[in-house]
Amino acid sequence: MSLYQEIVDFLCYEAELLDERRFDEWLALLDDEIVYRMPLRITRDIKRASNIVDNMTFFEENKQSLTTRVRRLETASAWAEIPATRTRHFISNIRVEPVDSVYVKARSYFQVLRTRRSIPEPEQVFGERHDVLKQTKDGWRIVERVIYPDQPVLMNVNLSVFL
Amino acid sequence: MSAELSRLEDVLDKIKHGLLPQWVFASQELYQLELEKIFSKSWQFLGHESEIPNPGDFITRWIVNDPVLLLRGMQGEIKAFLNSCTHRGTMLCVEDCGNRQSFTCPYHGWTFNTNGELVGIVAGNKVYGSEMDRKEWSLRPIPRIETIHGMIFGCLDPNAPALETYLGGLKWYLDIMLGRTDKGLEVRGVPHRWIVNTNWKVSADNFGGDPYHTAMTHHSTVELGISPRDPMFASYGHQIVLENGHGINIITAAPGLKMPPYQGLPEVLWPEFERNLTVDQLKVFSETVVMVGTCFPNLSWVSPMHGTGGSDEPLTNFVNFRVWRPLGPDRIEVWSWVMIDKDAPEDFKEASYRSYIASFGPSGTLEQDDTEIWTRVVDASRGFMAFDKDIQFNNVLNYLMGLDRVQPVDDWPGPGIAYPTCYLDAISRAFYTHWVELLLKDTSNKSPIRV
Repeated sequence: MSLYQEIVDFLCYEAELLDERRFDEWLALLDDEIVYRMPLRITRDIKRASNIVDNMTFFEENKQSLTTRVRRLETASAWAEIPATRTRHFISNIRVEPVDSVYVKARSYFQVLRTRRSIPEPEQVFGERHDVLKQTKDGWRIVERVIYPDQPVLMNVNLSVFL
Repeated sequence: MSAELSRLEDVLDKIKHGLLPQWVFASQELYQLELEKIFSKSWQFLGHESEIPNPGDFITRWIVNDPVLLLRGMQGEIKAFLNSCTHRGTMLCVEDCGNRQSFTCPYHGWTFNTNGELVGIVAGNKVYGSEMDRKEWSLRPIPRIETIHGMIFGCLDPNAPALETYLGGLKWYLDIMLGRTDKGLEVRGVPHRWIVNTNWKVSADNFGGDPYHTAMTHHSTVELGISPRDPMFASYGHQIVLENGHGINIITAAPGLKMPPYQGLPEVLWPEFERNLTVDQLKVFSETVVMVGTCFPNLSWVSPMHGTGGSDEPLTNFVNFRVWRPLGPDRIEVWSWVMIDKDAPEDFKEASYRSYIASFGPSGTLEQDDTEIWTRVVDASRGFMAFDKDIQFNNVLNYLMGLDRVQPVDDWPGPGIAYPTCYLDAISRAFYTHWVELLLKDTSNKSPIRV
């Protein structure tokens, strides 16, 4: 399998774990030193400045805080996910750039559709992710993920899911 | 007078007895009246001075449906205009923030400077001649702009009382949160913004008067060992009813439980607290664990101590203000700012920010559950039974907690009526009483509303 195919396969597998709520298996894909962030998008005239605000985020996580979020979802009172919402992580437009023999950079587009309760209209959040992945003897691990949403104003009632 | 609005006297009578008719959360007609009688008259938080530190810095904000261009002029002064070109009404600036010395409308090119003056018209002299006085076509200023501790408020009513008068006793508590250090607080980054399908009163009342919900809504953090097991944990301290519908809960530690003073804020800041606060303010602040409340109608804050990760992580304080911007009777846009003392050490600033991200905002492990539940209130309040004005279905909500049962203390050092518990509906009853009194108030100089 080509490197590109391996990475595509890995990101689709990760999406499947999240959508099937196999969160412990998902956590196992994260490097112990993972940096997991989601800066804010704002509307600006981009000819003059970036429209990403890097020092404010929707997620500013490490392995421990992500583990706490997963443990919370296992409690009997995480009401945002009781009953569990349904998500579909659509991951596409994947571009892979090897850094060295161990690390690769992977960029992908994401669209996460979510339905809550029996409300017919889905919520969605979309944008792109910049990952750094690491090859280990047990397979690929995520070392860094920065999630850039397209929307300056989120339409999701909450972000009780992972992106 | 419509059937719904003619029943507001009934609502007033009910809320004084601790009951709130359920139809007030989903009525389109009532919502229109709220816009006219409340949101066009009250002081609305727009932003913080630290968001526009330099001349030419601007941010665009909203007073419900009025777009506001808030900027710092070339002499450093704060100005706010209706963000609408005076020529044909186009939204002048669609950026969230930036720095400009002038704003040009894309429709016909009318250009305004930071004083709001019309300084450029495409082919001006050829098409309008000298008859048109450009001074008459300046950007329309927001009628009132005042600041307190760097917090910029706007008001659409030229005759509104001064901001300090409007805040009343609340200022004493804002001093503690915002005026305690020499340089004050600063906003980190930009506010979180997201949409929640609920009524603005549900969220404002939740922050204002409802520490009781924490034991159940946020029970997941109890299960994780982040919050205490004692179901009364958010009740200790005082609930303080202030004028004009404002209220604050000053939550302290459970009796016998030792907590660090001043919400665990860095010791290096304590001398500044002593410089900037009165003896009474210091006494209250030193014992405080959580400050949570609402400035009527739709500005709320929470300043708790919360962990950033697991149960073994230290509890860290942050200051979070939020506006519940109504988008309809069943929809709000939440704007949420995290603010940190400028003089705090950098490592504390980082920990404080992370503590906020972990617990509040769209992904916050506390707020996730709040917003979901608030949508359920409105989802169950649109029907025939909930809307029955004759209350034939017992379609009133329960605001009875502490009514005629809990008496105020007489030795509270701060302003307001202080009750010795935060599990109490006193603020909520005062909030809704003030709300309905404003709706009933005749502001038109026409015949009074007959009900």
